[in-house]
Amino acid sequence: MVSGPGLIVMEADNDAGAVSTYVQAGAQYGTHLLWLLVLLLPITYFIQEMVVRLGIATGQGHAAMIYQRFGKWWGLFSLVDLQLVNFLTLVTEFAAISLALQHLNISPLLGVPIAACALTLLVLTGSYRRWERIVVFLCILDLAWLWLAFHSRPSAGEMLRNTLLPSMPAGGLTASLVFLVVGIVGTTIAPWQLFFQQSCIADKRLRFADLKWARLDTLIGAAFTIVVAACMMMTGSAALHRGLSFSDPAQLAVDLGHAFGPWFRTAMLLLMINAAALGTTAISLSSAWAYGEVRGWPHSLQKPIKDAPGFYGVYVLCVAAAAGLVLLPRAPLQLIIVSVQVLAGVMLPSAIIFLQLLLNDKELLGERFVNRPWNNAVNWTIIAVLFALSLVLAAQVVAPRLFPAG
Amino acid sequence: MILQNTLSSPATNGRTFLVIHPLDDVQEQKCETKHLGAMKMTPAVRLSLLALRAYLVLMMVMVLYHALDLAGVLAQNGGKTP
Repeated sequence: MVSGPGLIVMEADNDAGAVSTYVQAGAQYGTHLLWLLVLLLPITYFIQEMVVRLGIATGQGHAAMIYQRFGKWWGLFSLVDLQLVNFLTLVTEFAAISLALQHLNISPLLGVPIAACALTLLVLTGSYRRWERIVVFLCILDLAWLWLAFHSRPSAGEMLRNTLLPSMPAGGLTASLVFLVVGIVGTTIAPWQLFFQQSCIADKRLRFADLKWARLDTLIGAAFTIVVAACMMMTGSAALHRGLSFSDPAQLAVDLGHAFGPWFRTAMLLLMINAAALGTTAISLSSAWAYGEVRGWPHSLQKPIKDAPGFYGVYVLCVAAAAGLVLLPRAPLQLIIVSVQVLAGVMLPSAIIFLQLLLNDKELLGERFVNRPWNNAVNWTIIAVLFALSLVLAAQVVAPRLFPAG
Repeated sequence: MILQNTLSSPATNGRTFLVIHPLDDVQEQKCETKHLGAMKMTPAVRLSLLALRAYLVLMMVMVLYHALDLAGVLAQNGGKTP
């Protein structure tokens, strides 16, 4: 009964961008970067666990908390940055749906609007429980990545070695490797996740007594996500072993389909669409919840449309505008992808700083929910690493010749 | 409709537990936030926000540099090859 938000926030993070990043990592470096995913499991759990505590203690969303405790300037900065990066990410989700549909011989002009309508109807039922059940089902569908990874036949010994022992892939430290490592970290820990899970917990009205189960839900979600991400990487590694080059995940699905059969191609393309759908509903909801909280509008999936028109309006607007932009001929998708990376780089460290400060706010949370000293030691270390990686990413976008080409 | 599950087994020593979905439960009193206002500027908070401002300024400088580089301004003045 308590589980849901943790699994959803983690698995929705394996969205279209994540599929592309993990599959590319596999296609270029095989299973060499599996150790990084293992390292990211506790990091992603510790960050989201703070969100769980804050959500259960206050019963309010993250955007509302930043506004209340840090004032209008920081509140507005966080909200605008979140809405912008979320919208651009949504465009990439629909771009992935469009790409996968093309390879399934379905016209994007037909398929993308249908997907947008389905994703809109998903939240318009006025029932949090109905939305949660459907989205958890979509999360469980991602287990099919295990099947694809199994059929890719990675070497078990190599996989185990690369999972437990960090190693440098052949070619050494290149720009491409740095970009992928930062990309993997950035795609596994995204700013919208903080806003989404706290609002989701507030909407589900989790109680103080639910804290341990909500933590378990988050831990299971983190482990589930990392396993699925590892399977995506293993699936991509099949391309490396067959000498196939990576251009995009949909093209790779087609190329691998020639080796493993048409069912493999179809399954991978459908999983791409599923990943984009999960990402779209979670990201759009994080935007709608955040906007509703700040504006003081009713903002709950439990409310019918007539009682929360602003909340549902933001959701529908996000989905419709992103889907519409993708259908425009000559839409600047490459510019959008670079902008997402830069804006997410700006957003993530600032959002996490606010989270860490809020979790040390005894006036707000009392002794029961504030961070313990060991929490702070772990979280400040994570923040320092994320700051450094964000700066590396920004530096590489700004000065592409910073690292040797690879 | 209130959705509830009742758990009763030998392991529960004959006692009956009622499991209520959070959405069907009575809403509990959360930590009060409305009257608090802005956070107190302790040295740790001040330092964190200062670090965040410095980080944001650095990011903006980097983006500006990139925009100028793309526009070809830096290549012309600095003699860099495109």
